[in-house]
Amino acid sequence: MRAALESLLRARQLDVTLTACDAPLPADRVAPTGDPALDAALGGGLKRGHLSEIVGAASTGRSTLVARLLAAATARGEATAIVDACDTWDPISAVAHGVALERVLWIRVRAPRASAAPDGAGESEGRTSSDTTGASLRALKAFSLILQAGGFGLVVFDLADVAPLAIRRFPLTTWMRAARAIEGRDTVALLVGAERIARSAGGATLALDTPRATWRGATSRARLFTGVDPAPRVVKAR
Amino acid sequence: MYHHRIPCYGDLTPGIPGVVDTKAATHLAAGIRDTPDVPAVPSTPRPGSGGVAALDAKAISEWEFGAGNLYACVRLESGGAPLAPLLAVARDFSPRVMTATEREVLVDISGLGRLIGPPDEIARQLAHALFDARLTARVAIGPTQTIARVLAQADAARDAWTQLPVHLLQPLEAGLKAGATPAMNDRDRARPYETFDRWGIVTLGDLAALPAADVASRLGRRGVALQQLARGRDLRPFVPDREARRFIERLELEWPIDNLEPLSFVLARLLDPLSAALERADRGAVAIRLEMRLTDRSTFARVLPLPVPMRDARVLRTLLLLALESQPLFGGPREDRKGPPRSGGSSDVMIDSVSIELDPAPARIVRFSLLDRALPSPETLATLTARLSALVGESSVGSAVLLDSHAPDAIEMTRFDPESRREVPASTRAAPGGSLPLPALRRQRQPPAIRVAVERGRPVHLASSTRGMPYGAIVEAAGPWRASGGWWTTEGSEDGRLRQRAGGTRRVGARAGWNRDEWDVALKSGALCRIYRDRSTECWFLEGIYD
Repeated sequence: MRAALESLLRARQLDVTLTACDAPLPADRVAPTGDPALDAALGGGLKRGHLSEIVGAASTGRSTLVARLLAAATARGEATAIVDACDTWDPISAVAHGVALERVLWIRVRAPRASAAPDGAGESEGRTSSDTTGASLRALKAFSLILQAGGFGLVVFDLADVAPLAIRRFPLTTWMRAARAIEGRDTVALLVGAERIARSAGGATLALDTPRATWRGATSRARLFTGVDPAPRVVKAR
Repeated sequence: MYHHRIPCYGDLTPGIPGVVDTKAATHLAAGIRDTPDVPAVPSTPRPGSGGVAALDAKAISEWEFGAGNLYACVRLESGGAPLAPLLAVARDFSPRVMTATEREVLVDISGLGRLIGPPDEIARQLAHALFDARLTARVAIGPTQTIARVLAQADAARDAWTQLPVHLLQPLEAGLKAGATPAMNDRDRARPYETFDRWGIVTLGDLAALPAADVASRLGRRGVALQQLARGRDLRPFVPDREARRFIERLELEWPIDNLEPLSFVLARLLDPLSAALERADRGAVAIRLEMRLTDRSTFARVLPLPVPMRDARVLRTLLLLALESQPLFGGPREDRKGPPRSGGSSDVMIDSVSIELDPAPARIVRFSLLDRALPSPETLATLTARLSALVGESSVGSAVLLDSHAPDAIEMTRFDPESRREVPASTRAAPGGSLPLPALRRQRQPPAIRVAVERGRPVHLASSTRGMPYGAIVEAAGPWRASGGWWTTEGSEDGRLRQRAGGTRRVGARAGWNRDEWDVALKSGALCRIYRDRSTECWFLEGIYD
């Protein structure tokens, strides 16, 4: 009875809220991440038409994971977008990970600075919480515009450096509307934050727990920082 | 010197078989302009002659020049000058204008005699119009294109047609199927004229008088074509240039409007027929020229370039409205307005009339692939980019381009075009000491100042007064990596401006450069940071957090 109901919903394209369905999706309905282990855990990749998220503390490899996802998407020839809520995305690092920058639409949202010291020091202190919230809301609006425009394979909304309080001030229906905007489309919407934000029913949460930095060299003068290996833990509805 | 005359070419007839002596009634008008400071010498029509337009039908049929045809040739004195002003003057006289060469324009003035008068008057008025347009050109009028063109380049226009040198035909051969072609070398091109020299054929009259069959047997098709030209006949029809069509709509408003909402309806009313016209002409718009006359008698003008040719009226209207929103009409930059300065505030200014002109271009031919994933259409991208630019600023939307520089954060924003292909500059830094790239950096575009405790030359503790920045004891440190550059440039130079645009540079006196020691550090809290000490100021800054 349950299988019949699920197949009926799928036939009428109402299966977006089905969380109990473990049937493998066709290859064009998932976006591979480029990491075989992660793809296996996700069942082929991130589901298209769903809202997923990457959560973790600083230096756990969130941006590295985003760079890998962007590289995989641009290598497939997809157009991608990143809404940079704090203007911290580094294209030079992204290119080193294989991202084709010409396929990445970069929206830099910068909070207006109240005052700027001549030597550049103490500028962040000049920002007020209302500035930050206003910038976050503009970033949210930009994210919504991109989702509504369609045609993008991956849209990343980077909220990693936005204060959780500012994210909680977003309207309650924000993420539901975002999920509805990409429902049935080929777009993967991806939120990046320090804490859990939201995901749609078929989306996944990639949780990054502890930093896994690798260093080389025995003596202090010979030490060399060689990288961070992100180890995402996949959290799904089921 | 400006002189204007009507040479009589009745002596053309002996060279053309079957043409009777129509000396009394055959006229070719030629106005020759050398220096415009001398007033024109009016020509005196010969008594009893009505000009070419007045030739009787019998003479026309005998001449085989076509009934009532009359052509003017305008030839620029100097080559390389733009032809557009000459074409504009020519179109004032006749819509049938043909570009003969890069310095010659032919005008079909058949029937113009009813408006202006005899050919000499037409030539005089044409010469005056050229003078007003500051053009130095020769004007010749004849019943065929060939005659008009030969006369326009003849130095001695007083000479009778039959006395003109035969080498004047050489420029007329270009483009003729049986004549000289651009692929010919100079020797091939000059060969028939050398033959004419050997035969003693010097003038057009000599060539025209030769038996056609003998010319064909000795010189082939090219010789026949040259003889036809010498007899003043055209070897190709007159094909007028197609005038560039303008796509322009204008609307005078009965009641002035003062905000964008009613303006959007006005724009829709103007853009709908323009879009339909573009579709009929298989064209797309590459730029929108909006001009609005305001109630204070000033004019608001805005040119909106489009990334690709497009003609969807809704897209065009949205782009226009977004452009006006981002540069508000009444608070917009001063340079957008022309006319007398406004005395009152901006709120009392309203829109009186709206005019839109679209710059046309050949429409796009789009071929989709069955294998590649579809990208957003250019119309979608243009609208999206315009909306985003209105939201966060034009300089904050686009695609990043790495500059070929070792300066920190050496990037530039450019228009987002997912179908383009770019090369990555060679100066893009690879990971030091390994093939794997370093983790992505969350870069602080304005690096915050930090306090760093140093023991035995190595950082051991990091503190920051900026909220949200990492701090604590440093448990691992790698460095220093010394980096410097840009010291040879000053802030005013182009390279200095590039450095400033790229950001991440510090002021070193009057120079725009960077000189620093970089460290990769791991804090006890687990944060991995890139910090640097500015060697010129001895201050520490947080460049970013590895993530």
